[in-house]
Amino acid sequence: MATIHIDPLEKRWIWVVGGIVGLTIGIQVFYAATAAIHPPSNVEVIDSAKLHLGGEFAEDKLGVKKEADGSYTVTMVAARYGFYPQSIEVPANTPVKLRIASLDVLHGLHVPYSNMNVMVVPGYVSEVHTQFTNAGDFPMICNEYCGLGHDYMYAKVHVTGGKS
Amino acid sequence: MKIKTMKNKIVMSLAAVGAALMVSQGVAAEHGAGAAAKGPSTNVAWTPEQLRLVASGDKNRGGQLNRDMFCASCHGDQGVAPTGNWPSLAGQRAEYTFKMLKDYKDGKRHGSATAEIMVQVAQQLSDQDMADLAQFYASFKLPSLPVGVSFDAAKADQAKAVVTRGDGKRLVAPCQACHGPNGEGAVTDTPALAGMPPEYFIKTMHEYKSGARANDVYSRMRLIAKTLSDEEINQMAHYYAGMTAK
Amino acid sequence: MSITAEQAASLAAASRGGASAVVAHGNKLGLWGMWVAFLALLLGLPMGLYQAAERSGFFPGIENTAVYFASTSTHGVLLAFVLTTFFAMGFGWHTMAHTLGKKPFFGWLGFWTSVIGTAMAAAVLLTGQASVLYTFYPPEMAHPLFYIGAVLLVVGSWMWVADMIIGFTQWRKENPGKPVPLVMFGTTINAMMWGWTSLGVASEALFQLVPVSLGLMPTLDPGLARTLFSWTLHAIVYFWLIPAYIVMYTILPKEAGGKLFSDEMARVAFVMLFIFSVPIGFHHLYMDPQQAAGWKLLHMFGTFMVAVPTFITGFTVLASLEVAGRLRGGKGLFGWIGALDWGNPIVVAGMLALVMLTAGGWGGVINASYSMDAMVHNTQWVTGHFHLIFGGTTVIMYLAGAYWLWPRITGKELYSRKLAVAQIWMYAVGMITLTAPWHMLGIYFQPRRVSYTDQYAAFPEWAQTWGPYEAVMIVGATIIVLSGILFVYNLFMTHFNKTPAANTKVEYAVAIHEPMRVPNILNSLSFWNWAMLAYMIVSYGYPILQFAFIGTPGVVPWGY
Repeated sequence: MATIHIDPLEKRWIWVVGGIVGLTIGIQVFYAATAAIHPPSNVEVIDSAKLHLGGEFAEDKLGVKKEADGSYTVTMVAARYGFYPQSIEVPANTPVKLRIASLDVLHGLHVPYSNMNVMVVPGYVSEVHTQFTNAGDFPMICNEYCGLGHDYMYAKVHVTGGKS
Repeated sequence: MKIKTMKNKIVMSLAAVGAALMVSQGVAAEHGAGAAAKGPSTNVAWTPEQLRLVASGDKNRGGQLNRDMFCASCHGDQGVAPTGNWPSLAGQRAEYTFKMLKDYKDGKRHGSATAEIMVQVAQQLSDQDMADLAQFYASFKLPSLPVGVSFDAAKADQAKAVVTRGDGKRLVAPCQACHGPNGEGAVTDTPALAGMPPEYFIKTMHEYKSGARANDVYSRMRLIAKTLSDEEINQMAHYYAGMTAK
Repeated sequence: MSITAEQAASLAAASRGGASAVVAHGNKLGLWGMWVAFLALLLGLPMGLYQAAERSGFFPGIENTAVYFASTSTHGVLLAFVLTTFFAMGFGWHTMAHTLGKKPFFGWLGFWTSVIGTAMAAAVLLTGQASVLYTFYPPEMAHPLFYIGAVLLVVGSWMWVADMIIGFTQWRKENPGKPVPLVMFGTTINAMMWGWTSLGVASEALFQLVPVSLGLMPTLDPGLARTLFSWTLHAIVYFWLIPAYIVMYTILPKEAGGKLFSDEMARVAFVMLFIFSVPIGFHHLYMDPQQAAGWKLLHMFGTFMVAVPTFITGFTVLASLEVAGRLRGGKGLFGWIGALDWGNPIVVAGMLALVMLTAGGWGGVINASYSMDAMVHNTQWVTGHFHLIFGGTTVIMYLAGAYWLWPRITGKELYSRKLAVAQIWMYAVGMITLTAPWHMLGIYFQPRRVSYTDQYAAFPEWAQTWGPYEAVMIVGATIIVLSGILFVYNLFMTHFNKTPAANTKVEYAVAIHEPMRVPNILNSLSFWNWAMLAYMIVSYGYPILQFAFIGTPGVVPWGY
């Protein structure tokens, strides 16, 4: 098999590139392993058509609940064109688990100035673990095209305590 | 259902209607403040089986039921209401009509005098009957206003802003985003509103506003109606009433 | 080794660049393919301007959500699917005729199949019956003609893929041991890669979208649909990018007056792009619930690996340009830049493409990041990124390629070289003006795919930061539309130019060390196809198979 000729300068460049790639991959694997920084990935199925009939996403079960260990679980539904409940309140610097499902089509939920960003895929339950570090009022925007009312789809979160 | 059995049922339903009218006064007083039934707001879920059932409705049989069950007396021979205080059903989305009938039968829609009539009527209907009726009404084009009912074009104009652009501050999406640019409704069960008599539209929106009507999943319409002023509701009623006027 | 008289004749004809039947056929296919591409560009660009203006809120008279999303869908399909596919096909047919002296097996059949598919999809898109965006995520359902049209567009492109592979394989049989000309190697690698990656969207369309939109199937699994689409979604951008890299490697160095720094490293870049572009789609699904974190992490490794051939390309192309600059008398560390032929639109495009590639590439590193994607997912950062890297780097090299091809195909001199240079500058300036504020909007968390911004009136401090950026974007979009019109005008007028082209020779850049032989691994497809199969089984095998047993209740279709 023939060998190829690589200019020494280009060889050096390839080492630099390898270093950059190795560093970026390494940082992310490090934080995934030590600080549990993962994108939301729970792979849990649910019948989107029957959300309201009972179970975790029944109409009277939505909202914010404080758990025994002091963390908060927020249960929401995305349905054209709103998030329900439309307004929630959680404290800052406290673990929050969001569980959300879609009644109809693809939605997304994003809270600016936080890392709560998740796709809501019908047929599946999405789960996000985060902590809000900034206090104040923030929108919870739908950031995936869900139809002609997509622009108007957002809810509000009021984060208490912590720094503004 | 055989015709003989149906005629018996009709006699019974007429009696029931009479009784209901007498009873409903008291019932309305009790339920008027919006004490919703326990459990989900509706038992209807749009699974493929449910959609298949609605799609299988026979519109000819539905037409027969419309006559034999005397639905036509309030809703018209072809779905156009004879007076302004009943809803027109012509061109209504079949899934929506089906859901309303089911909600009446399950007691998820109740409270007002007229709702109680429908609750009694719905007890007589099987799921297949409901699908047939739904397809019958859906087969017509969107209704013109009942004779003697008109709409106010000036009021209709004032509604345009919220209907087409909603209101971000109140988390209200444009009505047309769900109900369609021509008020024709949308997949799956968002109702058509075009040609709805204004009186009925206003009554419905006030029922949502007070919570007397509570069969909207996740309170979607109740939450919207609560943010709207009476004046806005009035304007929207005329906007939609005027949509099928030439 | 002797060749047949026929082979000798076709080789001679190919190198003559004369009126042999194969070359004429390839020229015509190339011209027609590229005209469809550039007409799509001409139609699609003004839609982008409309969208920027409509969203800004400065022009209440044009605000209409239904029109906005019909426009976004059409703009996306025209520029991301039609412009790109037809450019790749046209350029490929032309290249094969001139470098291998071979006639394509399907040729016009592929072209017309794709044209018919495009017309079908365009008809429903323009009438607002398919406003599901160019990503068409179910369970939103468009008119079935949209999906059928998209399938036909892809099927036509598969015929082109077959054309390239058959020609390549035949030539290699007839020329054992010889390196395939680099331009054709890149073209065939791209075709092969497109064949592999389009299987994802084709499966989604054939087994889910078409049957459900026709009412033949009552439900589908959106998780499976998104997974299949992700199979295509990343590599498709390399399907778009590789022709731009081909222009950078095989046309730009010669036009600049220099040589290609390294033929072999170009081949290394192409094969790395092939193997690392397809099995990495999950960085498009980082925020999705239907795939586990482990698979997303695995895909992240590949996503960073695919940055390597771009780093290599940047080096090789920049080095080639430096060689050209120094050959022209440039001295000192940066003196060679000024010494380049800035009157040549292809050279200008190449330099500007590299600038945009650098900025856009770093944005891509953020998007690829498993840990950081939560900050940018579905914000306007993503949209700004791909307009810069695709609309900017990639398309500007398509324009450059066209400026090189038109005189050689038509035999007429380019209508106006000065106009071409001005147009290329305008295009890049417009694109940078458009995308720089766009990235900022993403940093300020403006979400994607919104047709207004004043609906966030409940949060004025947040939403009102956006106005100045929207204004600058409108300026950028306007400049781009004008430059697009000038581009098409220049090409159109070239057809009627009375001046014959000074140089109609189809000759590609020569490497400093032109290889007499290259390792088989850089000259053939078989190893890489097996490698791709193995890598795909690892990356997508279980993630797709899981849908057979996790029991997702089917989701019914919805409107939009």
